[in-house]
Amino acid sequence: MPSDHTDAERKLKKLGERLRDGWAKQNPLPQQSIDTVRQTVREEWQREQAMKREKRPPAPSKSRDRQPPEPER
Amino acid sequence: MDLIKRVKTYRLTPALDERQRLAESIVLEIEKPLRFFVFNLLALPAAADVFQETLKAIVVSLPTFKGESDKEFWGWCKGIVRNKVKDQLRKQMSDRLQPMEPEQLWQLVDSSAQSTPLSAADRIDLEDAMKILAQARPECVEFLWQHFVLGLDYSELAQERNLTYDSVRMKIGRCLGEAQALVA
Repeated sequence: MPSDHTDAERKLKKLGERLRDGWAKQNPLPQQSIDTVRQTVREEWQREQAMKREKRPPAPSKSRDRQPPEPER
Repeated sequence: MDLIKRVKTYRLTPALDERQRLAESIVLEIEKPLRFFVFNLLALPAAADVFQETLKAIVVSLPTFKGESDKEFWGWCKGIVRNKVKDQLRKQMSDRLQPMEPEQLWQLVDSSAQSTPLSAADRIDLEDAMKILAQARPECVEFLWQHFVLGLDYSELAQERNLTYDSVRMKIGRCLGEAQALVA
C-alpha cells in the first residue's frame, strides 16, 4: 500500500479501536451468555461421555466361567 | 495462558469443570469484537439471538478447530459469526452493512474515553476518520467500515463480496488514497 495512505489508515484504525472499545463498555456481556456457554459445554461433554460408553466393548461377565446351574430335577 | 493454548487444552481436557472454565475464559476474550460485529449488522432482538447462537456454535465446534495460532483461531471465529449473520440477513431479506450515524459514533468514542482518555491529538484524528466516513464514496465507506471498524481482513472481505484478495487490497488502497485527500 502506498505510504501516503498511512495517515488516513492510522486514523481509521484508531477510530475502529475506539468504537469497538466504547461499544463493549456500553454493552457488557450479560451473565446469561456465560451461563449458556457453560451449559453448552456440559451438554457436549455429556454427549461425548455417552458416545464413549457406547463405543466401549461390553465388560466380560464375571460369571462367564462359572458352571451353569444344575437343572432342577 | 495464550488463547491458542487454551483452545488446544480445551480439546484435550477430559474434566467437565476444567472445560467450562476454559470455555468461559476463551469466550470472554473473543466476545467483544464478535458481539460488536453482530450488533452492528443486526437489530435487537435478532442480534442477541444470533450472538448467543454464535457462541454456542464456537463452543460446540472447538474440538474440530485445527489451527495453530491465535490469528487462525480469530479467523475461524469470525467465519462462524459471519455465517450466522449472513443467515439472519438472508431471513430478513436485507444485505446492507450499515455504518452508524456520527452521533452514535461519538457516543461510543466518549464511552471508550472512560478507560483510555482522549488526547487533543486523538480527538483530531478521530474527527478526521469520521470525516472520511462521512464524505467518502458509498462503496469506499462500506469497504473502510468493514475493514477498519468491523475488523474484516482482506481475505474475509474477498469472501464476503466474491472478489479476489488482490482486488480487495487495491480497492481499499484506492479508497485510502481518496480518504487521504479528504483529510490532507
